[in-house]
Amino acid sequence: MVWKIFLFLLLAFVSIAGISFPIVENPQTWYQFPLIPGLEENAKIIFFHVPTAWLTVIGFLVSTIFSIKYLRKKNLDDDAKSYVAAQLGLIFCILATVTGAVWAKFAWGSYWSWDPRQTSIFALMLIYGAWFALRSSIESEDKRATLSAVYSILAFVTVPFFVFIMPRIMDGLHPGSADDKFTPSGGPVVNFKMNSSMLLIFFLSLIAFTILFYWMWNVGYRSLLIKEKLNKKIIRG
Amino acid sequence: MEGFYNFLSSNAIFIVMIIVLIVWIGIFTFLLNLDKRLKGIEKEINGEKK
Repeated sequence: MVWKIFLFLLLAFVSIAGISFPIVENPQTWYQFPLIPGLEENAKIIFFHVPTAWLTVIGFLVSTIFSIKYLRKKNLDDDAKSYVAAQLGLIFCILATVTGAVWAKFAWGSYWSWDPRQTSIFALMLIYGAWFALRSSIESEDKRATLSAVYSILAFVTVPFFVFIMPRIMDGLHPGSADDKFTPSGGPVVNFKMNSSMLLIFFLSLIAFTILFYWMWNVGYRSLLIKEKLNKKIIRG
Repeated sequence: MEGFYNFLSSNAIFIVMIIVLIVWIGIFTFLLNLDKRLKGIEKEINGEKK
């Protein structure tokens, strides 16, 4: 219960700070964020958009870990845990794409520009979308669990490449692209430089969203386990 | 009260903040209730086994 209250307060604080702390040219106190030319108030998206992308990676990672666990022990509970983690990963992947697209309209001029970051997250959505299609096409529980575990491991190999490598080595519009460091004012759009208080709120946001993910995942797989237990009971009569 | 109202109408970002906080309270309460309900069902199923 303590960690739930902690989560509530943490995310409430992040929402208050992330939305209401003013952005000024020369921050004087801890509750002021620096002005990023070209972004102004749009910069505040970082407290809510980046954690969704972070949870995408966490979701797919947890899914892969439990897929490996399933293949080693053949326990269907691990398959349920892997399934719910991937489900949450895909939900947050869609949220990251949508929030990013809305932001891009005002920062880059259009919702979708096939920027390397946008292309890579789109590819990720297709890869994991196919995973759910695969799962729904197999009726046998064990076969479904084994095949989707193998697919999950193979799919996760692409995640670091699509999230951390490809958008960073290619030139693009998204902050963090390869050409960000070549121009004094930053990349084609902005150089996303945060001060220490902005960084603090950003990391608190990452922590809060990670705890929220754990809670959602926990509730999700427990409900699936109950469903499986009840199904077995009904079959046994 | 009127001063607070005037403050909000000239600083719209705080209205956004209040709305986000209300949404968060809603989501949090929902998750808390769902968790409690699940615990109850888990107890019921495990209790039947014994």
